[in-house]
Amino acid sequence: MTVLARILGHKLFALAILIGVGVWLLVIPALTDQLGANPLEKLLHQTGEIAIWTLGSVLALTPLRTLFPRSRVIGALNRHRRYLGVTACLYGLLHFTCHFLYEGGWDGLLKSFSKPFIWLGFSGLTILVILALTSNNWSARKLGRNWKRLHRLAYLAAALLLLHQSIAGKGHWHIARWIVFPLVTLQLARFVKNWLSRRRLADATAS
Amino acid sequence: MYLPKRRSWELPDSALTPEGHYLQRREFLRTLGLGLAATALLPASLRGASSGFPGSLNPSFKLDGVKLTPLESVTGYNNFYEWGLSKDAPSKLANQGWKTEPWTIEIGGLCEKPAKFEVNDLIKALGGIEQRNYRHRCVEAWSMVVPWDGFPLAKLIALAQPKAEAKFIQFTSFFDPKICEAQRSKNYPWPYTEGLTIAEATNELAFLATGIYGKPLRNQNGAPIRLVAPWKYGFKGAKSLAKIDFVAAQPKTLWNEMAPDEYGFYANVNPEVDHPRWSQANERIIGGGFFAGKKPTLKFNGYEKEVGSLYAGLDLRKNF
Repeated sequence: MTVLARILGHKLFALAILIGVGVWLLVIPALTDQLGANPLEKLLHQTGEIAIWTLGSVLALTPLRTLFPRSRVIGALNRHRRYLGVTACLYGLLHFTCHFLYEGGWDGLLKSFSKPFIWLGFSGLTILVILALTSNNWSARKLGRNWKRLHRLAYLAAALLLLHQSIAGKGHWHIARWIVFPLVTLQLARFVKNWLSRRRLADATAS
Repeated sequence: MYLPKRRSWELPDSALTPEGHYLQRREFLRTLGLGLAATALLPASLRGASSGFPGSLNPSFKLDGVKLTPLESVTGYNNFYEWGLSKDAPSKLANQGWKTEPWTIEIGGLCEKPAKFEVNDLIKALGGIEQRNYRHRCVEAWSMVVPWDGFPLAKLIALAQPKAEAKFIQFTSFFDPKICEAQRSKNYPWPYTEGLTIAEATNELAFLATGIYGKPLRNQNGAPIRLVAPWKYGFKGAKSLAKIDFVAAQPKTLWNEMAPDEYGFYANVNPEVDHPRWSQANERIIGGGFFAGKKPTLKFNGYEKEVGSLYAGLDLRKNF
């Protein structure tokens, strides 16, 4: 278990996975002509999918740590939360670039902003960019207690982006719910556990 | 004297294919072209009704000067939610043992001659098939140009003889949850349904396709028989039809039921009425590679002359 935890906790492991996903789903298909009849749309969808799943996994890690505080594996993965968050932002920016190209440049991009669907994605991505820019140690020191408050905006970004994903196409909710339901369940379980342990603590001090 | 005794698995030299012939065969297959070879070699179970081929091109529907979408795009980029949500899923999942020949289609409801036909028999009863090149515009703002084979829907309507009270036609796709995994879930109200008014259905453009590029329809394109209404968004073209019913009231249709504010009953191609999430003013040309670009979408997909009069006086913004 320790060996596995050490591998999983290594920075190189995280980097390999996060870059590897892009190579596997974007670069190799592009170089081998596997993007199908509408290649730009395929890249648009793939980048969006990678971004939302990465964001989903980073938000799953905190409650998992609360629920399984002794698990070495989860502890190791939790060290990568900053990487995961920044990666979600970078794939999100790639997704936005694909949208820009798909709409055929500035004119099409500006027109696309008449749709609430686009605003959901754009505002979610803006939050991710702010969080990525303030993810370094220097910002964390500078912002002090406000850093944690600011970075709770990740939950708002996730809500906006999951809504964006679930209305992105006919029947896309059936994809998005595979992220929504697990995340909601984990968060609920985390609150219940925190509440129970706080009550136990209160009982212990009372008696 | 040594007399070699041949065992059952040993072939005499005379039975071997000469190397030259063997190599020529490979050459022959290669020159036959990938698409043609693939269709020719497809087992009968993986394609639709084979009757009537080749049909000749109807000169009224040639679309002069328009470039046809390559076969591999037409058969590899499909919306067919019964066989997966992604565009490349149907060409794989619809070809894993789903049999579309023989296939029975039922014609019923308010008509004088309700009947069940095997699709090949129906083609013969209607006097064969013809080829038409049609523009195809998806509600998702992409487009193709497709050479279909089939027959006008009006011919089938004449055969069925609808009663006076029949005002609409409902099209119902196959329902086979045993082989189609998606249909085992309740995410969508399967089977797929679509509908037209009788006036729309008897328009010369309304077409029942049984082929594509001069070959029987591939499963992913809706084998063995599907609706094609080229002035409407692609989702109106219900695939792999099991039933055609003449009805008095506007029938329920799957996408309209799922999202009535996004997918109307009429669903006529209209660059002036946006989808809630994207503009319909332009369309991406499929099959042209990475930077194929876009072109402006035409009202009624360029078929205003043929169908415009059907909607005289109708507010197309409300009746989208």
